[in-house]
Amino acid sequence: MSSNVSKKIQREKKYDVCTQYCIDTLLKKGASKASCSLSIKKNQELNAAHGQMTLNRTTNNISLILKAIVKGKTATLVVNNLNQNTIDSAIDEVIVLANSSKEDESNDIASFQKPKQFNSGSQRGDINKMYDLFINYLSYSKDAYPKTIIEEAMFEFVKSNNYFRNSNKVDFYGQKGYYSFFSMFTSKDGTDISSFNYNGFNTNKLELQLKQCASIDRLLQQSSEQIHSITIKDKFIGDIIISPDCLSQFISYLMGNIRDNALITKTSIFQNKLNKKIADNRLTLHSNPVSENISNGYFITNDGYEAKNSTIIENGVLKTYLLSQYGAKKTGLTRAVNQGGAYEIEKGETSYSSMIKNIKQGILLCRFSGGHPAQNGDFSGVAKNSYYIENGEVKHPINETMISGNLENLFLSIKDISSETIDFGDSILPWISFKGVTVSGK
Amino acid sequence: MHKTKEQLKKYSPLFTHYTELRIQENTNISLSMLNGDVQQNSKATTSGSSARVFKNGVWGFASTPQITDEDIEDIVKDATNNALFMDEKQKKSIQKDKIPKLPKASTSSENDFSSKKKKATQKQLLDFLAELDEYIDTNFKELTSRTLYLGSLDVRKSLYTSDDAYFFSMVPRTILYINLAMTHKQDNSTIELYDVLGGLGEFQDVFENTHDLFPKIDKLHAHLLNKTESIHPQAGIKDCIIDADVAGILAHEAIGHTTEADLVQGGSIAGEYLNKQVGTSLVNIVDFANTYNNEICPVPVFVDDEGSESLDTVIIKDGVLKNYMHNKESSVTFNTKPTGNARASTFLDEPLIRMRNTAFLPGKSKLEDMIKSIDDGYYLMKSSNGQADSTSEFMFGIVLAYEIKNGKLGRALKDFTISGVAFDVLKTVTMISDDMSWSCGGMCGKKQSITVGMGGPAIKCKINIGGK
Repeated sequence: MSSNVSKKIQREKKYDVCTQYCIDTLLKKGASKASCSLSIKKNQELNAAHGQMTLNRTTNNISLILKAIVKGKTATLVVNNLNQNTIDSAIDEVIVLANSSKEDESNDIASFQKPKQFNSGSQRGDINKMYDLFINYLSYSKDAYPKTIIEEAMFEFVKSNNYFRNSNKVDFYGQKGYYSFFSMFTSKDGTDISSFNYNGFNTNKLELQLKQCASIDRLLQQSSEQIHSITIKDKFIGDIIISPDCLSQFISYLMGNIRDNALITKTSIFQNKLNKKIADNRLTLHSNPVSENISNGYFITNDGYEAKNSTIIENGVLKTYLLSQYGAKKTGLTRAVNQGGAYEIEKGETSYSSMIKNIKQGILLCRFSGGHPAQNGDFSGVAKNSYYIENGEVKHPINETMISGNLENLFLSIKDISSETIDFGDSILPWISFKGVTVSGK
Repeated sequence: MHKTKEQLKKYSPLFTHYTELRIQENTNISLSMLNGDVQQNSKATTSGSSARVFKNGVWGFASTPQITDEDIEDIVKDATNNALFMDEKQKKSIQKDKIPKLPKASTSSENDFSSKKKKATQKQLLDFLAELDEYIDTNFKELTSRTLYLGSLDVRKSLYTSDDAYFFSMVPRTILYINLAMTHKQDNSTIELYDVLGGLGEFQDVFENTHDLFPKIDKLHAHLLNKTESIHPQAGIKDCIIDADVAGILAHEAIGHTTEADLVQGGSIAGEYLNKQVGTSLVNIVDFANTYNNEICPVPVFVDDEGSESLDTVIIKDGVLKNYMHNKESSVTFNTKPTGNARASTFLDEPLIRMRNTAFLPGKSKLEDMIKSIDDGYYLMKSSNGQADSTSEFMFGIVLAYEIKNGKLGRALKDFTISGVAFDVLKTVTMISDDMSWSCGGMCGKKQSITVGMGGPAIKCKINIGGK
């Protein structure tokens, strides 16, 4: 590979040549195993602040990740420049870094898989359409919710091309393009103010107005209601409905217990729970990074395996851990076929409105500001942008209200799962109601 | 990566509107060890150039990982075109008399905190971790797991603006994270405790040898031992003393963010409180630019990423909310001067209003007297994470705390959460200790993750304890 080769040959070929050069040279320089991941990313991004569109950004970046294993010792080095000198220095340095490390027989690279190419979304964003949809969103929110301030919002098109190669002859190429929207807002009437809230989604196509996507309009409307919130005075054990917007946080807490660190240190609440019941029978949770339903998934895992869809919890039974290749070797358990994310929870049979009607006393939890659960699964935190429910009716927005419970018990105590789901582009989630959560006001 | 003013000024003929040109390189080293196994041994360098252009109230930005003449010319043109696109689209909606005229700043500065010593190799860093790990493994056999993480971040930036402002800075930070775990004596649950050591400087300047750290590890272990017999706190409003670590996060998360001018424009409650009493007269909070008490702060900023001189921002003086933190554009809106709070995390990020080193100022009390003054309360020493709201309502996880009974420290407490409305809590402050310390590992995640300093003395106030 010669210097500045990028300007003389075709793009894909240039990057193929670059990644193969890295593998060949790493082996030549003493690596027993090596991998190389190259990502070329372009973003076109429109930004708004306090309700006005103010910034138009285009950013380009490269990430070349080199991994070398030398006598069971490993290191990773990342650079974002592909000139010859940078690459050669990076190769030399990662070998030195690997030699500095400690031997560990669990260090490895992905085993051989057939070469494959992946593709999702479009390769070009429509900036004019993005602008029009964004302006419509800003004017809609201003007109429909005049007391709501869009603190910041961002609408971007992300295009990435990823090359992955290793010394076991793994050779993957993937390209992905998607739109991503994020908005953060607060509603205010003098000194009466709502908690801030935020929402967003990913999509491959610009077919709908932004307000029609995911839970955009619902959360704006809720924010405008939350200017005047009431503190719950008492403490009770009741039911909570966790909204799809908030549910991903609790899934993330759950998944933390089936990943490398928790299982290697044997601190997981789900240690030795594979193929055992860890949740209510009605809960089925998939991780679907390559599903047609997911617009912002992934094709290749960080350790170089082709990602596949999986069912993590089936009818309440834990079907897989989310172990990486390293974690699997370290624990003697099976490597997961993906690295989590792109979660889909199968919808239930109860409508959202019926779920509300089924609650005697509880809250509708729409955002949770909480510390990370303790090792035993105990969690507590503040219910933000949430509502008090009594005798089957949503009564009023609440403030300064804490909830506490135990993660393991929570998912074993599901009351209902909604028949409606929200598609966020990177996850598809329902409302779930849970029994026996402690709610305490001021 | 160090570009001189002349090297950047040569691109100024390309500037057709107000323009900032920045060249930046961030180098991260991450090493981690779990129970003696090296789990992470990586180095990442991210470098590139970016330009930001202002025209008629809108901005264009472009970046590239390249730093050649040709690439820099391209990004200045792209950023200009991005601003023109926005200007063209927005012509109808923006009133000409409302277009802000940015204040001019032509400060020049070079601040290099690079080590004068020979740079430590990654092998030396790994050996350092291995020595610490061996010390822990040898001395504390009852641990169920031990995690060590050593991370360094060196940020080199050169900025030139069309106002002829220039700076170069090299700001390094090295932190060591130690997490130890044991089993609780009564319920057999796993309990953990961590500490973060280090701060401003490259590894060889921050950590001279492992032996210096052994007493700190011993202290961490002693607290963890106490936690093996910890009890749940009682829920409700309690008299508390929050130590420096918790005070710092309160200053940053719950007060600092609400007083960033962009969040004030976005509706934060602090917008209603300027020049109003928001705490007792003991309360003083400052966002320091670079120096406190003749010592360099953890994250020193001398000129910000818009070329404005970075000034200390007195947020609360004697309990009265006095100022917000500004960039150039917000200073126009609020009819004041920029405070030098515009900071960007990496080369491909635009500057945002960010805190630098936010802290409560010390008072006159002694910590022992503060503890003695409480009959039934808690001493909150260390937080895990923290979040706050535009209302100033906050939630922090507490991982190290003791009960106070009849003026004396008692049993350790299990992990719990505290919450409250920060501007209400400040009104309950009755004592502040006469010392202060900085937390050394602060990262703030407002769109971009960036290093921040936070600190304070011990503060006696009333806090809502979340318990069983």
